[in-house]
Amino acid sequence: MEHDVLIVGAGPSGAITAKRLAEEGLRVLVLEQGDWPDYSKATVHREDFPLTAGRDWGWDPNLRQAPGDYPIDDADSDITALMWNGVGGGTVVYAAQWQRNMPSDFRVKTLDGIADDWPLTYEDLEPYYVRVERDFGISGLANDTAFPPGEGPPLPPVPLGPAGRRVAKAHNDLGWHWWPAPNAIATREYGRLHACQQVGTCLQACAYGAKGTADLTHWPRALELGVELRTRARVSELIVRPDGLVAGARYVDADGNEHEARAGVTVLAANGVGTPRLLLLSGDSPDGLANSSGMVGKRLMMHPFGTVVGVFDEDFRAWQGPWGQFIHSLEFYETDESRGFVRGAKWGLQPTGGPFSMTSAYPWGAENEIWGPGFQDAVRGRLGHSTMWGIIAEDLPEESNRVVLDRVNRDADGVPGAKIEYRLSENSRRLVEFHQARAKESLLAAGARDVVVAPFIRSTGWHLLGTTVMGTDPATSVVDAQGRCHDVPNLFVFDGSVWPTSAGMNPTATIAALALRFAEQLIESRREQKVAA
Amino acid sequence: MALTDAQRAQLGALADQLIPAGGGMPSASEAGVAGRYLDEVLTSLPDLKAPLETALAAVDGLEPEAALAVLRDDPAAWGVLTAVVPAGYFMNPAIREAIGYPGLERRPIDATAAPDYLADGLLDSVVARGPVYRPTPTD
Ligand SMILES: Cc1cc2nc3c(=O)[nH]c(=O)nc-3n(C[C@H](O)[C@H](O)[C@H](O)COP(=O)(O)OP(=O)(O)OC[C@H]3O[C@@H](n4cnc5c(N)ncnc54)[C@H](O)[C@@H]3O)c2cc1C
Ligand code: SF4
Repeated sequence: MEHDVLIVGAGPSGAITAKRLAEEGLRVLVLEQGDWPDYSKATVHREDFPLTAGRDWGWDPNLRQAPGDYPIDDADSDITALMWNGVGGGTVVYAAQWQRNMPSDFRVKTLDGIADDWPLTYEDLEPYYVRVERDFGISGLANDTAFPPGEGPPLPPVPLGPAGRRVAKAHNDLGWHWWPAPNAIATREYGRLHACQQVGTCLQACAYGAKGTADLTHWPRALELGVELRTRARVSELIVRPDGLVAGARYVDADGNEHEARAGVTVLAANGVGTPRLLLLSGDSPDGLANSSGMVGKRLMMHPFGTVVGVFDEDFRAWQGPWGQFIHSLEFYETDESRGFVRGAKWGLQPTGGPFSMTSAYPWGAENEIWGPGFQDAVRGRLGHSTMWGIIAEDLPEESNRVVLDRVNRDADGVPGAKIEYRLSENSRRLVEFHQARAKESLLAAGARDVVVAPFIRSTGWHLLGTTVMGTDPATSVVDAQGRCHDVPNLFVFDGSVWPTSAGMNPTATIAALALRFAEQLIESRREQKVAA
Repeated sequence: MALTDAQRAQLGALADQLIPAGGGMPSASEAGVAGRYLDEVLTSLPDLKAPLETALAAVDGLEPEAALAVLRDDPAAWGVLTAVVPAGYFMNPAIREAIGYPGLERRPIDATAAPDYLADGLLDSVVARGPVYRPTPTD
């Protein structure tokens, strides 16, 4: 057999795994359905960038319809699933808000009596946070009071900016937590990363190579180490042997030709929608592969999202800035049941964009539209004078929120797409409302002359978690604490699908730390590891 | 390829409902939103042309105000109109100048500068308050 390990997906979880295994001399093959990002399309200095960015760096695979995309039916979901399918995965377009989970996130059942504990603790993951933060060139300030003390990221934080300072002062007056925000943004030259130019287009790819994205921080080194990466290789199913082990995967190349890739061990790193889709597509059982628990695809969590904008007299020139986040607040992160809900949310303070963004219904709200007489003064009032809290809310795992196969809508190669079914719970609604109200207080305390609570929109499913839950009991979970499928000893899941609960944080720091820990565990147990010979 | 003069006139009238002259600045049509900047917008994003023509055809013959009311109830049409009009308006350098927007600039970070919040004690009260997280329970 040519390869020891096959990895599906070249986003951060796949990239981290591939690089680490190759460092140990393992022969690694990675199949990725998309292409490398084409940064020549990150034309940030052109006046038409606000128009073309939506086409060239869009987040919704159903609208983008790039060669690496597959359809996701979201008609029965309150939130649409967003992703970037290609080398680097979602990091290519992520906002680079880099948040560790807090200790309580791993002990939700013990502390709050709901959902489940993770089969590991913050302390177990902490050394891996430190390592991935070095690898991704994270900027931030150690000893944030919302986390256990310890080593922080390698680079100094991005500037607070005038908006960040103003809101930080207000939080000091209120006695509320804030801290210079952690970002996957290089604040000076670092490894292969360049220094950030604060152009604020992180969500439409970084034109300057300053954002810690897996295509820059991991792939060049992984390829040097001998990892074989095949792009435009769309995996249609896993190959299951009569003895129950997985022998690799079938995939379709850019010309529509079918191939088989064989390896001793297979790792799925295809995200919270792509991974369950692949398991449901594989094996002889109508329930798919590795699904004796019936949990494959269930417990989808996507983080309800809220935005609150403040408009100020002061000119922050905040149409740009790291985006990213200037500061974050975890004041209301921990559970307080007197609020009428459990769990919480993280806030990140961000710029609001250029003149075009000042006219849009999100986040400004249709009722605040500025069309008609007074348009120009309204634009001047908002432009550069506004800043907003983005609120990442924890959603609890529910079996009715799930990913299933969509046999009607298929990808370009005829493989069934995915369908997501997701409804906001009462807990989520109350949680978001409470946090919006507090965020409004924050901005008013900072001196905002006007505060807008953005309307709810569906297109905020940036975080795809929970659909192959990790646990110790094979009856109720899909993978064990090593990421190994209980049912298939040489098949692993190393992406965010394994999360038992969603935390109220941007997830990539924890997805990355977990992938590195899983990779180390695989290396440690390699002698006992069952392989498809 | 380009829109007809009649379509441009129709678009200009609609655009001026959205962006009339004001604040010492010209209206949308005066700023070229149905002329030169429409061409630039459609060159950048040719896919907008067909839905724009559909939207215009749907309200052909209506007075601008009535037309706008109809388009508002049609999310696709409203979406294309409220993309094309402000995009064209803000592409005009005179408009950008008037609102004080220089476009996206490089603002390198001075990583050698001591952070202001350490110098002026902004973080002190946060630190003084101590931890705000619940530690991992020990059983
Ligand atoms: C617009 C946006 C903003 C975001 N902002 C933030 C942020 O600020 N902070 C944060 O922490 N997170 C953010 N995220 C989330 C972050 O991008 C993801 O958490 C992260 O990328 C997940 O990594 P992953 O490797 O598990 O999956 P992904 O990055 O999704 O990578 C999975 C890869 O698998 C490939 N794949 C899937 N199925 C197949 C198949 N059948 N065959 C072959 N290849 C396949 C896909 O093409 C994809 O490249 C954001 C996401 C988006 C979309
Ligand atoms: S703000 Fe910095 S990291 Fe973000 S896109 Fe601009 S240069 Fe890149």
